[in-house]
Amino acid sequence: MPGKKEVWCTVNGKKTRLLAAGNTTLLQALRDIGVTSVKRGCEEGECGACTVILDGLPQKSCIVLAQEVEGATILTSEGLVQNGTLHPIQQAFIDEGAIQCGFCTPGMVLSTWALLQSNPNPTDEQIKQALSGNLCRCTGYAGIQRAVKKSAKLLAPKLQGGDSQ
Amino acid sequence: MHDFLLERPDTLRAAHDLLQRYGTKAMLKAGGTDLLIWIKRGVVLPECLVDLSLIPLLQELSLSEAEMCIGAGVSVARFLSAEAISTHFPALVDACNSHSDPLVRNRATVVGNVCSAVPSGDLIAPLFAYDTQLEIHGPTGSRSCGIDEFITGPRKTTLQPGEIVTCLHVPLPKPPSSGSYQKAMRREALDIAQAGVCCVFSGKAQEPAGRKVRLTFSAVSAKPVRALKAEHILEQANQLDESMLQEVAILARQAVAPITDVRASSEYRLDMVAELTRRAVRACFAERGEA
Repeated sequence: MPGKKEVWCTVNGKKTRLLAAGNTTLLQALRDIGVTSVKRGCEEGECGACTVILDGLPQKSCIVLAQEVEGATILTSEGLVQNGTLHPIQQAFIDEGAIQCGFCTPGMVLSTWALLQSNPNPTDEQIKQALSGNLCRCTGYAGIQRAVKKSAKLLAPKLQGGDSQ
Repeated sequence: MHDFLLERPDTLRAAHDLLQRYGTKAMLKAGGTDLLIWIKRGVVLPECLVDLSLIPLLQELSLSEAEMCIGAGVSVARFLSAEAISTHFPALVDACNSHSDPLVRNRATVVGNVCSAVPSGDLIAPLFAYDTQLEIHGPTGSRSCGIDEFITGPRKTTLQPGEIVTCLHVPLPKPPSSGSYQKAMRREALDIAQAGVCCVFSGKAQEPAGRKVRLTFSAVSAKPVRALKAEHILEQANQLDESMLQEVAILARQAVAPITDVRASSEYRLDMVAELTRRAVRACFAERGEA
């Protein structure tokens, strides 16, 4: 069967080479280069643990093929950290106790980032809808909801993105 | 996951050439949000995936005086963000918002939902209700066909080897129009329909051409069906009344043939069809200010 191809893309602001066979998912390719905030959960597009921002849009990297991201720009939770300082969204998740096991957290943080880019002051219902593709099995969502509200306050009036966005 | 080659043609011609070369060993991929899972589960084992996402022609999303054209590469989210759809196709807005979740909608395509041809496909019932025509390009020419001619059963379509669905043509409903898609599911996101009902009204009952009504369903029949008798009653109805609504709900139940599976029993689905039909019809009357 076919061998691997080189795929060049921008990951968290850095030009990056991925090595991918036809059936390699973006999730796998990112983990292979050490981007391990992108979690391997259901691998069927359900849980959202593998969420990345792909060309500005939150997407589930387990249902994206790595060879499809040639020339694309990818932001993960690592890319939100600037000069060793956590992004306000990441800090809000800690402060509000929105984390228990932490497995869903990078995906939740990125969906929050995407929501606040397009809607800096979301309602409770809009937050629920925006995060409906990210499942958490331990915190019960109330802390996450608070963390998103707090993030919106921290980021207002001016939104700051990650290095690459 | 099963191994395959990913081909990414940038013209329709090149895509046809690849289909010609690989024959039945090739499968078409748009968003891939269903297909990749089928491959992971070993339901399909293609040698080659022909990805359509780099073909500029298939990214078309346009509105004319007569219709909306949705290219095969247009994602559900991009379609939802088009202003025209809430004006002309409210039932499609309902259906798109109930499709998967916001992340998957950034990748999954409208045309892909039709081509997957699963009975629970949320966009199929409303596209059928809006009299959508598929434009299909083959190696020797093109053809067009309706949703009910295209889908012949679960995951079965009339798409022939070498053919590609390039876009959907959705005629603008005659004003005043109204539409609603009602879906029963176990949670409000990321869930497959237990049953879905779509109702669309167009035109005025008092005019010579009359009011046109479509009543279509999700997850309760092997292929797309309409409740023709119920539509006829609704086309004649001057206003909403409970006895008429009851009759329409009974006729809707009779038009479908749900199965029992992991998501719901056949009996539950039949009851839901009756209830969701009442809700969809009420919503259509209410939107027109006739209820």
